[in-house]
Amino acid sequence: MTLAPSILFNIGSFPVTNTLVTTLVVDVIIIAIVLAFRASLALNPNGVQNFLEMVYEYFYDATKEVSSKVEIIYPWVTTFFLFIVISNLLGQFPGFESIRFFSAGSGEEGVPLFRTATSDLNVTLAFAVISIFMCHYYSIKHTGIKGYIGRFISFKMFPIFMFVGLLEFIGEFTKVISLSCRLFGNLFAGETVMGTVSSMFAFGLPLPFMCLELMVAVIQAIVFAMLTMAFMSIMIQKH
Amino acid sequence: MEILTNILNLFGLETKLFIAQIVNFAILLYILKKFLYKPIAQTLQERQTKIKQGLQDAENAKEALKVADAQKVEILKSARKDADKMIELTKKSIQSIKQNATEDAKKQADEIIETAKKNAEAQQEEASKKVGLMSVDLSKSIVSKILSELFSEQDKNIVLARAVEKIEAGGYGKATN
Repeated sequence: MTLAPSILFNIGSFPVTNTLVTTLVVDVIIIAIVLAFRASLALNPNGVQNFLEMVYEYFYDATKEVSSKVEIIYPWVTTFFLFIVISNLLGQFPGFESIRFFSAGSGEEGVPLFRTATSDLNVTLAFAVISIFMCHYYSIKHTGIKGYIGRFISFKMFPIFMFVGLLEFIGEFTKVISLSCRLFGNLFAGETVMGTVSSMFAFGLPLPFMCLELMVAVIQAIVFAMLTMAFMSIMIQKH
Repeated sequence: MEILTNILNLFGLETKLFIAQIVNFAILLYILKKFLYKPIAQTLQERQTKIKQGLQDAENAKEALKVADAQKVEILKSARKDADKMIELTKKSIQSIKQNATEDAKKQADEIIETAKKNAEAQQEEASKKVGLMSVDLSKSIVSKILSELFSEQDKNIVLARAVEKIEAGGYGKATN
């Protein structure tokens, strides 16, 4: 298994990778869930509506506990969670990566048609950038440009706060790296371990690893969503 | 710079894919916001309103029940009072009816007794008159029988007429009124 996703084919100069295909599959699943929800929407919830209401209320209440700007933060947090959790769980389906795609450059064995979207750094980095960019956007919007710059540059107690400001500035970049690499690292490592264990023992031994990966899939989605929530609530508050 | 490019290539980082993922997420966020979060929020709000309304209604019903209970007690008290009054009135009216009935009955009984007495007296008088007549007839037949043995037919009639005169004069043969 390579760190980079496999390119299946190109549309012009645009490379279509197996993680991009999985991303589209996840999109279709989410849209199907939304359609099922819309079809069965009722005051007395059932099935899909119950699950979605549970997710919504969990993140809404959690956001409410940490920030007063709950209406701004929770859509981002919940969307991150839904996409990441569905993508991660999809990758746990047995045989998910066994479907091969054959093209001119893929060789005799071909390449996997699907690969967990979050095991591609393009996806996790894009999410981390969106998360941190929106944090800064809302920070400027709600605290003003003066308040926003004041987070990083302060002449009070010179040079201590100047140094703290500098650390904050560097911290914003490390946030992007930590968010993206944590999710990517966990999922990629999990898939590598599963691939290795499954190739050694086809039955029995992969089971505990599968259970562990199921937990990791959900936990990493929650971690990403919660960190976004924390970063946004901190940035929206006045410094 | 070359090292960085190598690292980016190693991880498969591609600007186009990166932008594609951002666009994909933006579209997904828009769809979810419009077709999922908004309806869920509305449904939850509606449900909460209904639950609040239900609780309020239950509270109102409880209050109404309390008021109704108090009214019931009040009505029962008043009804009991009315019933007691009516019973008292009825008792009095029964007493009065009983007294009147007793008096009427006594009066009627007295009248009946009076009438009975009068009737008895009249019957007694009638009976004694009848007895008198019967005794005259009996005396007449006895005397006639005795006289027919002692006297001739002519004398017998004379004596009989005199005896009858005497008896009648004595008040035995007259009918009493």
